[in-house]
Amino acid sequence: MAINPDYFKEERNKEWRIQLRQGIKNKERVSRERIKMPEQDPDVRNKNSKEVNLGLSEKQAVTESQRCIDCPDPTCITGCPVEINIPEFIKYIEAGDFLSSARVLKQTNSLPAVCGRVCPQEVQCEVQCFYVKKMNKPAVAIGHLERFAADYERSSGKIFVPETAEKNNIKVGIIGSGPGGLTAAGDLAKYGYDVKVFEALHELGGVLKYGIPEFRLPNDIVDVEIDNLRKMGVSFVTNFIVGKTASFSDLKKEGFVAFFVASGAGLPRFMNVPGENYVGIFSANEYLTRVNLMNAAKQDFDTPVLFGKKVAVIGGGNTAMDSVRTAKRLGAERSMIIYRRSFEEMPARIEEIKHAEEEGIEFLNLNSPVEYYADKNGRVNRMKVQKMKLGEPDKSGRRRPIPVEGSEYDIDVDLVVVSVGVSPNPLIPKSLPELKVTKWGTIEVNPDNMQSSIPYIFAGGDIVRGGATVILAMGDGRKAAAGMHDYILKTVKKK
Amino acid sequence: MLDLSVKYLGLTLKNPIIVGSSDLSSTVEEVKKLESNGASAVVLKSLFEEEILLEAATKAEEARIDQMFYAELSETLDYIDLHIKEDKLAKYLKLISDAKKQVLIPVIASINCITPYEWTDFTVKIQDAGADALELNIFLNPTDLSDKNFEQTYFDIIGKVMKKVKIPVSVKISPYFAKPGLMIKKLSETGISGLVLFNRFFSPDIDINSLEVKSANKFSTETEQYNVLRWIALMSDKVKCSLAASTGIHSGESVIKQILAGADAVQVVSALYRKSPGHINVMLKDIEKWMNKKGYNYISQFKGKVSQESARNNAAFERMQFMKYFSGIE
Repeated sequence: MAINPDYFKEERNKEWRIQLRQGIKNKERVSRERIKMPEQDPDVRNKNSKEVNLGLSEKQAVTESQRCIDCPDPTCITGCPVEINIPEFIKYIEAGDFLSSARVLKQTNSLPAVCGRVCPQEVQCEVQCFYVKKMNKPAVAIGHLERFAADYERSSGKIFVPETAEKNNIKVGIIGSGPGGLTAAGDLAKYGYDVKVFEALHELGGVLKYGIPEFRLPNDIVDVEIDNLRKMGVSFVTNFIVGKTASFSDLKKEGFVAFFVASGAGLPRFMNVPGENYVGIFSANEYLTRVNLMNAAKQDFDTPVLFGKKVAVIGGGNTAMDSVRTAKRLGAERSMIIYRRSFEEMPARIEEIKHAEEEGIEFLNLNSPVEYYADKNGRVNRMKVQKMKLGEPDKSGRRRPIPVEGSEYDIDVDLVVVSVGVSPNPLIPKSLPELKVTKWGTIEVNPDNMQSSIPYIFAGGDIVRGGATVILAMGDGRKAAAGMHDYILKTVKKK
Repeated sequence: MLDLSVKYLGLTLKNPIIVGSSDLSSTVEEVKKLESNGASAVVLKSLFEEEILLEAATKAEEARIDQMFYAELSETLDYIDLHIKEDKLAKYLKLISDAKKQVLIPVIASINCITPYEWTDFTVKIQDAGADALELNIFLNPTDLSDKNFEQTYFDIIGKVMKKVKIPVSVKISPYFAKPGLMIKKLSETGISGLVLFNRFFSPDIDINSLEVKSANKFSTETEQYNVLRWIALMSDKVKCSLAASTGIHSGESVIKQILAGADAVQVVSALYRKSPGHINVMLKDIEKWMNKKGYNYISQFKGKVSQESARNNAAFERMQFMKYFSGIE
């Protein structure tokens, strides 16, 4: 469903764009430094759950937008899985028309405030920016500007609700209310369908809520996006597990003609080292869900969570960073990352690693757990770690960690969070034996329209990719919505 | 009526021929075929630490190609070797439990290991899956030039595993020790139930046309049995556990020799690759023929017979043979 490149050209050739380009010479634009995102002070923010990044001011946003030279061949768009018209939304900021900027974002991205915060722009749109590719300079801060425009629209109270086609009374189901599910719901509502989202948990938002802490993505931002979908006519049901609460055939009997499965990859993995079952050892999924979604850290809520003073988080990805920084905010005196490779190989975003370091997180890189020990009540109180060294790159180009014999030592811990990856949620594939799954346990789909081996079932996001980013899941949601629309036109409507 | 049963690792086997760990014992169907051809026990195909790591690299590359696990940011990809280990282990546990349901002979699990870390916890699951025993194929590289305590690793691995499981544990070793006899004796005193002498390393050859290293004989030859025979003969009355002979045992005659030297049982693999699993029956018939000829009714009647008679002074015996052959001293 690629957008016609001519459309981008036509938009670029509009008079207001031409005038803006002529307003500031490119030489001057490229001479400016990238605006730094204002942040809470590390010593203050590591004791609260408010957002770390404070967002650009109007003046900062306009100044940053002026760095964009409005390239005739905007390579940045090629790095965006949902093909946002990036130069256009940035130029609207330069023109001071922030609401129009937000509307451009919403043409193809139903969650811009979310993406502006959690998308890895440095490996997607920004890495394709002219500044990076041709000048070896920091990219235009596309993500920060996206967040600015989305936040401006939200705080203005003039939130744009996309137009929807006349209701066609055809029922479609979305399984999972994470980024993929919400995006597909929005697009299907635009086509005029009667869209219902089934969420297994008691709160909507999927990984956006349970997985990402409020200091990176406040829950109310997700709620605003969900409310917007409600305004478009999408309905939501929580505590509903498709495959258990009701089967696909039950739902088909109720009139649903097609489904988009976006049930995510919520099954945590462990390392299988001795003692991993002791009390006080959590998967990152469980730990973050308790804190983020169930308010476990708040005194007036019943959900328990352990408050560790000496916390070890195993892993080096974004979820590990989220967990270790959460533990610090919950009062840990020592909050450590234990990672078996070095900074260079860490999968977490550089920004998250930098924030964690500033907040006083200790990094025990080139270390790996060997065994956990517990007190007489079975609560973890110590762990043995072994030092690692990096071997030569393997077939996949990654340097394999090799244990250093005799280098084991003990660390006192009272809480451990294991963050070494997740598996696709097996519930849907198990409930539909005829559904084809890949050797990775993910649902096999036609990549052009996200249709599975069962024609009325489409799928996307982590349940198809194993582990995706928010924006990739959203891209899948858009593609699946178009695929479902096409399928319904060809089959259901014919009947 | 001849009785070929033997005791090995505290288990009663209907005869001394065990099928060693290999692809021949990698599926339930194969295991059933081995049982129906007369095998008295099977050692399942090993879980390899290195194999898992190699597979991890391959899987990581495949994941990249399949656009899975979003390579740049994925914790799952970052720890894919561990996850593959989990998957592999689950499949292995299923092999054990399925095999146990479908055959009557003992099923011995096997782990090919080089460190006493991570994997040792798996042994409990192997026990819970129903394995009758566990064979540790400790595969330390004798070409390692570092000064680390090579021998100590064996004891560390055994110590850690013995703490975790109650099923019999055997250890398959290589012959590469400074003092193999002393090592065999000390290992037998760790509480293990058996030792398997010896595992067989990859043997390199050189292709003189392409000037490349190639694999020498993939399968053992009968001549390789003699080094095993020597150490079985030398150590069978000095160890505190069962001994199984392995490598180069291709015929009933070879089995008889190893038992005469003191082996409790033998492990065969290459002979079955070269011929077929049906060859086990051929070997058993040859043993029976020999026992009838010699008037033996039980294996125990001749087990260790030659070893005990000739090994009163093993060191002297070994030296005398050497002098006799190479210096003409009678």
